Amino acid sequence: MMQVTGPVNPCRRLLGLGLLLLAGACCGSCASRTESGEDAEVTTRGSTEVTARLVEIRGEFPENVNYDYAFVMKYEVLQTHRGKVDSDVIYVGHYNPRKPRAAAADERVEQVGGNLVQFRAGDVHRMALESPIDNYFMGGIIDKYFEEKSDPIYWAIWTNRVVK
Amino acid sequence: MAAAKGQHVFLTGVFVVTIFGVGLLQSGLEVSRGQRPQSADVFLKKPTAANLRAYEKNLEEASWFAEKVRPTVQYARFMLLDDAGPKTILGREGWLFYRPGVRYLIEPWPPKTVSGEGQGDPLPAILDFRDQLRARGIGLLVVPVPGKASVYPEMLTQRAPAPGQPLAGHTRKIIAQLEEAGVAVVDLFKVFDRAKRGEEPGGKTKYYLPQDTHWSPEGMRLAAEATARKLLELGLVERGQVQYDLKPVAVKRRGDIVRMMQAPRIERCFPAETIDCTQVVHRQSGEVYRDDPDSQILVLGDSFLRIYEQDAPGSGGMIAHLARELGFPLASLVNDGGASTLVRQALARKPALLANKRVVVWEFIERDIRFGMEGWPRVPLPAERQPGVAAAMLE
Amino acid sequence: MVFSSQVFIFYFLPLVLLVYYLLPGNRHLFLLLVSYVFYGWWNPWFVLLMLFVTAVNYAFGQWIAAPGASRRWKRVAMVASVVTSLGTLGFFKYYMFAAHNLNWLLGNLGIAPLTVVEVVLPIGISFYVFQSLSYTIDVYRGESPPVRSFFDFACFVALFPQLIAGPIVRYNTIAEQLVSRAHTWNKFSLGVALFILGLAKKVLLANAIGKVADAVFDAQAPAALDAWLGVTAYAFQIYFDFSGYSDMAIGLGRMLGFEFPRNFNAPYLSESITDFWRRWHISLSTFLRDYLYFPLGGNRRGTRRTYFNLATVMLLGGLWHGANWTFVLWGAYHGTLLIWERAMGKSSIYTRLPPPARIAITFLLLLFSWVLFRSPDIMDAWRFLSAMFGGSIAGGGSMLLAAEVYTQGTLIIMALCALVVFQPVQAFDWVETLTWGKAMLLILLFALSLMTMFVQAFNPFLYFQF
Repeated sequence: MMQVTGPVNPCRRLLGLGLLLLAGACCGSCASRTESGEDAEVTTRGSTEVTARLVEIRGEFPENVNYDYAFVMKYEVLQTHRGKVDSDVIYVGHYNPRKPRAAAADERVEQVGGNLVQFRAGDVHRMALESPIDNYFMGGIIDKYFEEKSDPIYWAIWTNRVVK
Repeated sequence: MAAAKGQHVFLTGVFVVTIFGVGLLQSGLEVSRGQRPQSADVFLKKPTAANLRAYEKNLEEASWFAEKVRPTVQYARFMLLDDAGPKTILGREGWLFYRPGVRYLIEPWPPKTVSGEGQGDPLPAILDFRDQLRARGIGLLVVPVPGKASVYPEMLTQRAPAPGQPLAGHTRKIIAQLEEAGVAVVDLFKVFDRAKRGEEPGGKTKYYLPQDTHWSPEGMRLAAEATARKLLELGLVERGQVQYDLKPVAVKRRGDIVRMMQAPRIERCFPAETIDCTQVVHRQSGEVYRDDPDSQILVLGDSFLRIYEQDAPGSGGMIAHLARELGFPLASLVNDGGASTLVRQALARKPALLANKRVVVWEFIERDIRFGMEGWPRVPLPAERQPGVAAAMLE
Repeated sequence: MVFSSQVFIFYFLPLVLLVYYLLPGNRHLFLLLVSYVFYGWWNPWFVLLMLFVTAVNYAFGQWIAAPGASRRWKRVAMVASVVTSLGTLGFFKYYMFAAHNLNWLLGNLGIAPLTVVEVVLPIGISFYVFQSLSYTIDVYRGESPPVRSFFDFACFVALFPQLIAGPIVRYNTIAEQLVSRAHTWNKFSLGVALFILGLAKKVLLANAIGKVADAVFDAQAPAALDAWLGVTAYAFQIYFDFSGYSDMAIGLGRMLGFEFPRNFNAPYLSESITDFWRRWHISLSTFLRDYLYFPLGGNRRGTRRTYFNLATVMLLGGLWHGANWTFVLWGAYHGTLLIWERAMGKSSIYTRLPPPARIAITFLLLLFSWVLFRSPDIMDAWRFLSAMFGGSIAGGGSMLLAAEVYTQGTLIIMALCALVVFQPVQAFDWVETLTWGKAMLLILLFALSLMTMFVQAFNPFLYFQF
């Protein structure tokens, strides 16, 4: 292929520095630690405790900041630590999922928490759950799977990230 | 190469450091929190249009810089431009209005484009719900609540129509269509019109809270009275024997419109309002009102039911006041912002709530006709029972 | 991917600049790859279509330039290139429009409608089809040498800075730069300056004033004053949005060593509609002039033919913007005004008035055209024009519009927009002499724009739809 010719590249040093910083960040990310998500809260709260992969976040979390709501997400259960779940695929309602779990609790829903910062499909979470959600949460439940399942929805009390 | 002047190098340097720095610092921050850098997520999923949109949105939402900068920018815009954010319109004399509620009145109805089935006309969903309830022997009473801008347009703009002139026909049209289709409806527009003209007891008080989307205790009481009147007039229920008293309680409340600006420095410009509420108290036991799941009436609705009832002071909202008017406790299912569909889905998950019911009272704010969460799809309830008395009366 | 988004400014752009400047060679291949990533960000499947258009025009270009190719063969190849390119554009852009209109006609004749298959409009197709077409025509005319490598040609077609919304870069403009171009601090920093000004235009002005325009155009029955405010706001929005994009595109091009042509030159200071078309979307008007108006005969075949040519060019120019009768009307309106001015000796009918009055009247004439441009259909446009002249009663909820649009913020932004629009110094020229003062001002603008961008919702450029 023909080469572009021109004067000596003036920005190369500055951009080289940028590359080094980028490489540093990448190395840092590769060296991140493993976490099982286990802590004193997730192992004691709720009646069920699972490690599960967040398979799908269907639709988008509503932008309406006026209301508090739970948003139902689809999980694949990888391990059941306590209690039992009805199937390998479960549907879990998370309270105000736009917020980090540590900041999600409020005067209406005081019990939720965890160290998860953001919900991203594909991630693995360790969760303390209750079921069915309607017995534990009286507000709006946004369930994009409403028409295609009859399984009970779990209510996420504690949600920790799991780093494999 | 041309000699680089200082200002060229300086401008380029600042630009390059900024565009590199933000992404790198964000990634560094995420790594220090033990997270995978969000920017790397782009390599984890198939590059479909939907995944790429979600990736971009996640990236923006997780931005540390955006989080830090947002309150300052919002405050500056508020002070310099009178811009209270995408959700809020500043009215007159310190009144605040919820923008979607105002847009509902300004824009044409039905909208030219709807995003899919169940997103436009609410009528089919309401009629379907009525028919499903009827099959169980249960009647339906629909209570569309006027938005604040419908009742107090003059507090939004001086150009508002003169009192008595209808502001927007959308909801009134839908009320007429519902009545024509044989659905019982409480027309709160007429109630508030009369009240503002001083024709209802209580005088010309404020029926909505200046800094909130919701009604004041007085407005709520008017709605409860009108609903009770309608239920009794139609003979759907008979007045019960339980006696309740009213207990005055003052609460401090920061308006939800103030809170939705999500900027603490702006919030401080709007001090909490003191609101004189009345709790409903059982005359004999002295206990505050409590729902009875076995009641013959189930009330479905949104935050207009929640305010004063589940919020402070508690047991002082529309459900309690409706119960007091009717003389017996009610069952209720409240779903913030989800009275169009979410509340029906919740009912479908808990069909036991329909046991022993004669009437379902369904309240929703008028703007949900257009902006209701999840639109207006039909929601199937598990079929049961033969038509009963209340349903037959409404036919 | 939108230039005024976090993913572009903080991730895509730094990565592209970094690798581009560190690469010892194969820069065009790299630019091609990142341009496909940039384009595929909307929908990865669209890249295949672009690849098809590129391959077809490259092949025809080679055919035209083949040694020993006869004049007839060259002509056949050029025509085939035009037919294939415009056929592709026509199918993706106008199929739905044609099908719906045909069904409307059939319905009126009592004939059962045809099934219409949903065809998605690939973003930016009008721009890159025109660009690649310019190559085969330029080579056919002998105005440019054939490109020496497919990757260079593909890079020219897909070059991400101006891919989605122009300026439409003709092959003969950039042919030499594809062979050799300089990279200097000054060029890079002037690119940065232009990019920042474009970003500021988009984020600080266009998006802010766009809210006013949207509020009014979406209202059921705006009052006359509301309607005038709304269309003026839209005139400002479309200018700052589109010229902001062009500035950013030209700026990005400079950062990569390219020099793209200017696309705007104070269009609202035009003293006639003819003048306006020399200042607005210059790359489109020159494209239409060189590839349509002149081949039709221009003004060399008599007065009537000149008028016909003008009308044809403006009608097609209107249709180029979108498959909607509103754009056809918009083109017809401009065509009529151009013919009128041509009949008056290429000047406006108000030539004798002082310049400020001429500018004001031209702006007023443009406002009517923007109503057609902004309205979703002809009925809406008519309703809006009626509202401007008090023909509709501002009733019901639309009276509440006042609370939304007559605010301190609107007043300040409108004043700011007017101040920038009605002064002669353009971003393109202003950055040419970069002083310390300008550099500091640009950094301040960059900071303000980024801070504002952080709080704004997704807001694509208006011209992306074309």
